[in-house]
Amino acid sequence: MVSSTNTTIVNERPHHTLWGDAWIRLRRNKLAMAGGIFIIVLTLAAIFAPLITPYSFAHQDLNAILENPSSKHWLGTDGLGRDVFARLLYGARTSLAVGIFAQLIVIGIGLPIGAVAGYAGGRLDNALMRFVDVMYGFPDLLLVILLKAILGGGIYQLFLAIGLVAWVNIARLIRGQILAIKSREFVSAAHAMGGMGPYITWRHLLPNSLGPIIVSITFNIPRAIFTEAALSFIGIGVRPPTPSWGTMISDGYAVIFASWYQVFFPALAIALLMIAFTFLGDGLRDALDPKMRR
Amino acid sequence: MTRFVIRRVLWLILVLLVVSFITFSLMHLVPGGPWDRDKQLAPQVVAALNAKYGLDKPFYVQYGNFLLGLLHGDLGISYSYQDRSVTQILMQGFPKTAVLGTTAFILALLVGITFGMAAALRQNTWIDYVCVMFSTIFASVPGFVLGILLIIVFSVILHWFPTGGWGSPSQIVMPAIALAALPAAFMARITRASTLETMRQDYVRTARSKGLLERVVLIRHILRNSLIPVVTIAGPEFAALVTGSVIVETIFSIPGIGRLFVQGIFARDYGLIMGTVLFYAFVIAIANLVVDILYGVIDPRIRYE
Amino acid sequence: MQRKTLVYSLLAIFFSAILIFTSACQGNKGTGAQILRVNLAGEPAQVDPNQASWAAEKSVVSQVFVGLLGFNQDLTLRADVAKEIPTVANKDISADGLTITFKLRTNVTWSDGQKVTAKDFVYSIKRELDPDLACAYASFYYDIVGAEAYNSATGKTAADKTALANAVGVSAPDDYTLQIKLNDPQPTMVECMALWPVYPIREDIITKYGDKWTDPPNYIGDGPYLLTEWVHQDHMTFKPNPNYWGTKPKRAEIDFLMITDANAALAAYQNNELDIVGVPPGTEKTFLNDKTYDDQRSLFNDLTTFAFQFNVTKAPFDNKLVRQALSCAIDRDAFINSVRSGIGKAAVSWIPPGMPGYNASIGTQYAFNVTQAKALLAQAGYSDVSKLPQITFSYSNTAGNTTIAQFLQGQMQQNLGINIILDPEESKTFSTNVNSGKFMWAWFGWGADYPDPDDWLPGLFGTGAGNNHTQYSNPAFDTLSATALKEQDNTKRLADWDQAQKMVMDDAPIVTIFYRERFNLVKTWVKGLKTTGMDGQVIGDTFYNEVYITK
Repeated sequence: MVSSTNTTIVNERPHHTLWGDAWIRLRRNKLAMAGGIFIIVLTLAAIFAPLITPYSFAHQDLNAILENPSSKHWLGTDGLGRDVFARLLYGARTSLAVGIFAQLIVIGIGLPIGAVAGYAGGRLDNALMRFVDVMYGFPDLLLVILLKAILGGGIYQLFLAIGLVAWVNIARLIRGQILAIKSREFVSAAHAMGGMGPYITWRHLLPNSLGPIIVSITFNIPRAIFTEAALSFIGIGVRPPTPSWGTMISDGYAVIFASWYQVFFPALAIALLMIAFTFLGDGLRDALDPKMRR
Repeated sequence: MTRFVIRRVLWLILVLLVVSFITFSLMHLVPGGPWDRDKQLAPQVVAALNAKYGLDKPFYVQYGNFLLGLLHGDLGISYSYQDRSVTQILMQGFPKTAVLGTTAFILALLVGITFGMAAALRQNTWIDYVCVMFSTIFASVPGFVLGILLIIVFSVILHWFPTGGWGSPSQIVMPAIALAALPAAFMARITRASTLETMRQDYVRTARSKGLLERVVLIRHILRNSLIPVVTIAGPEFAALVTGSVIVETIFSIPGIGRLFVQGIFARDYGLIMGTVLFYAFVIAIANLVVDILYGVIDPRIRYE
Repeated sequence: MQRKTLVYSLLAIFFSAILIFTSACQGNKGTGAQILRVNLAGEPAQVDPNQASWAAEKSVVSQVFVGLLGFNQDLTLRADVAKEIPTVANKDISADGLTITFKLRTNVTWSDGQKVTAKDFVYSIKRELDPDLACAYASFYYDIVGAEAYNSATGKTAADKTALANAVGVSAPDDYTLQIKLNDPQPTMVECMALWPVYPIREDIITKYGDKWTDPPNYIGDGPYLLTEWVHQDHMTFKPNPNYWGTKPKRAEIDFLMITDANAALAAYQNNELDIVGVPPGTEKTFLNDKTYDDQRSLFNDLTTFAFQFNVTKAPFDNKLVRQALSCAIDRDAFINSVRSGIGKAAVSWIPPGMPGYNASIGTQYAFNVTQAKALLAQAGYSDVSKLPQITFSYSNTAGNTTIAQFLQGQMQQNLGINIILDPEESKTFSTNVNSGKFMWAWFGWGADYPDPDDWLPGLFGTGAGNNHTQYSNPAFDTLSATALKEQDNTKRLADWDQAQKMVMDDAPIVTIFYRERFNLVKTWVKGLKTTGMDGQVIGDTFYNEVYITK
């Protein structure tokens, strides 16, 4: 008999936690890594914008209105002679902040409410979902105008405004997922083994319902950016001349017959950001899926 | 099930009351009133206007009058459209918005679910990437830009359709496409994600290993089970489409109710605001109810305790 | 696999069917017929002349009604239903200026054939002042005896209101004479009688139809057109009035469309669905340089001035020198020539060209001059601009305002090194904040109600006046205004107003930027279009009966 102390057992599965394993698999997914790197590079570019472009986002060169892209202005100039590339880069700060941080608030509120409603069921589910119904019917525009009048309009008020209302969709989505999965066999099994509610939700229900939730989050990024543009119309959020991709698009729309670049470049930026998050999100979901463990 | 529906209808009334109270309060708390304008009206005229429309009465009296009117089916009058009542305005505009919204919804559903499933079943092939590309484009280009692009290409350049308006079938094509773009993209991606998850479930492997035809596996097992999240978002999407999109209706000059809500708020048209808010809240609460019923239909394991 | 192909083929057939069906159905509206299609850009709230107050409503009302007087293209008065313009010379205005008599033509008819009489005007004026109706322009007629008392009678009993109505100083001594009694002489009251709030109204129609009197079959007017169709939020159609007593219109029909989006309207114009369209602000360069539009451009001065108003009670704007300094730091010509490609006219005075009272030499001492700006600031004690309190500029976020505001911000920063904060607000919040003084520096625009300085000065700069948001108060100005309003000698009157305008621009409670120029595109087949500085929402609307289409 071979002594177990001096023989290596081959083909033993390496021992990983769910998350550690996920990280390894994520690393192998080229598209997801590309997406992640793009996001990181964009964030760094936004932070170090002054080093990348000599132009300020506010400097108006009134002799260079609505110019086409050229060697002097890589992406052209806008209606007040400001460099579009510079505005896009500085605008990334606002749009990334809004797209990402607003999400955190939305998830922070929507996830617990939806999860609790789905898992608990019964009266609590009913009460929470009727509250969600009220939020759906709520006139957010009125609330936002009032918010600006009382609290003034700054970036924190913007997060508040977006977060307060946008969580309903995620809440209902998660609740639906959990309702569907709740009655599956492995949940009963976990229950039988003595798992308690929150543990089951966190360890088993959520990872299995991630797919649609990640998609919803990805779609909320451009949605948040456009909401920010709409809110800046009322005066909440960043103020001119601070650019954001959403306001660049709405300003560009007004002059679209004069120059379609004004709309094209910020829209392209949003699209690229969303694709990056899509690939990253897909990769994350694949990585976390227990079924795909090799 | 009937008891469930009745209970939900009762809750619906409560929800509508709460929403109406919140809206009424917000309307009067917000700065600016219907008579504020850049060329200020004389104080006597403002006083006369307030008296004419009952705005000089205390808050609870106004709200009470509103509720009383509601019991008689009267949603009030509009300051922006003074020759019709709010009820008439909604009745005239809603059919147009509903037709447009339903068309867009069916379009989004068909295109979205089809492409989503195709992308999931052929994950990582060209069809998957095309699906990702298009859904991203439709999500990152806002409705007004998409709308004007459609108009420029299909009206001004190709002369296939008129640029807007309502009345003939040719005027529904472009707005329906513009309206359906984002929901279609969303539904495609959700369907894809959900289908992928369902495909990996054990019972699907079991079905396949039993030797069932791919088509049978698809319809009997995958389709049904991946629809839960799709149904969840389809409900609110349908409600949103049917109560109108301010952007699409503005660009295509469609005389529906979509614009009325936003216009009413910016004009402080109290009657119009209350009418449209209640209408929308009603539609979406019903939509959520239908979604919850559909959960039970799709997946019999789902029970409401 | 089969299912997918099936679905795809169904979709393909579905779409092709729609395309084929709809292309067959689609045809360009109205090319070839004598129809003028213009864009009203929004549905009017109502089209009752007494209650109309917005530009769109004015455009509708001017097709269906004709008043005592009207305006020529050069904005001089023209006698329409009246036989002649009342003056002191022809004795239609009494020597003391307190009684105005209008002699009416006897051949003026309503569209149903009945004659227009002085009673219709008496009824209209009293209705305009009726407190239960709460008409927006009632205050323009307060100089009529008993008018203000009647209009302020909200809350009184019906009997009181009737008594007050009977005490209003308008009467019809006979069917074709209208007499108006004033509290004080007001030469411009004659001009006010040319405005739409006092177009004639048929009492029997109102009594019979009530609120429904503005619906197409009931909407009786004495003007060249009849409103034949109103599809809400879609369009309004006007056809010639067969019983029109004046020169019949040359064209068969006018369509007012209601396309609210400026770009969609432009696309409709390019697709031959509209005959006249406005050029979106910011795109002027393209439409000026593009040769295809060479014979389609319509440019004319409008009686509108845009400015920035200070709140003179808030530091640092309580110091006149600071206000004057900031005025010197704005390069208006650069704005007009570069940002607006030359559309519009840089302004340093308040009253725009094209109306009496315009004086190009007023305010020139505060034209663009950075050295002078810095000197004035130093004089005010702010040679170091960082000592200035934080300045916030508010504006409402309508088309073009964002650009103007950011332009101002750029000028302050680049010329003086001052950083101002921009505060966009939605329009009602902005109006209420400005009206209650909750602002430091705000956007400001004013369009003429009628072409005379007394519409531009006392109401805006008089102490405590209704539209005085700057809180400007100058007793000398008040005294001068009070005299000028009543001055019957026109030359002296205009000289007084000129002096008053100088006073105001010296004190600089506002900084004027530019006078508006309207830039529209008009199809080559539209002939006879006459634009005036008083045009409403759509250009040329006061002379549509002279427009004709050639194809």
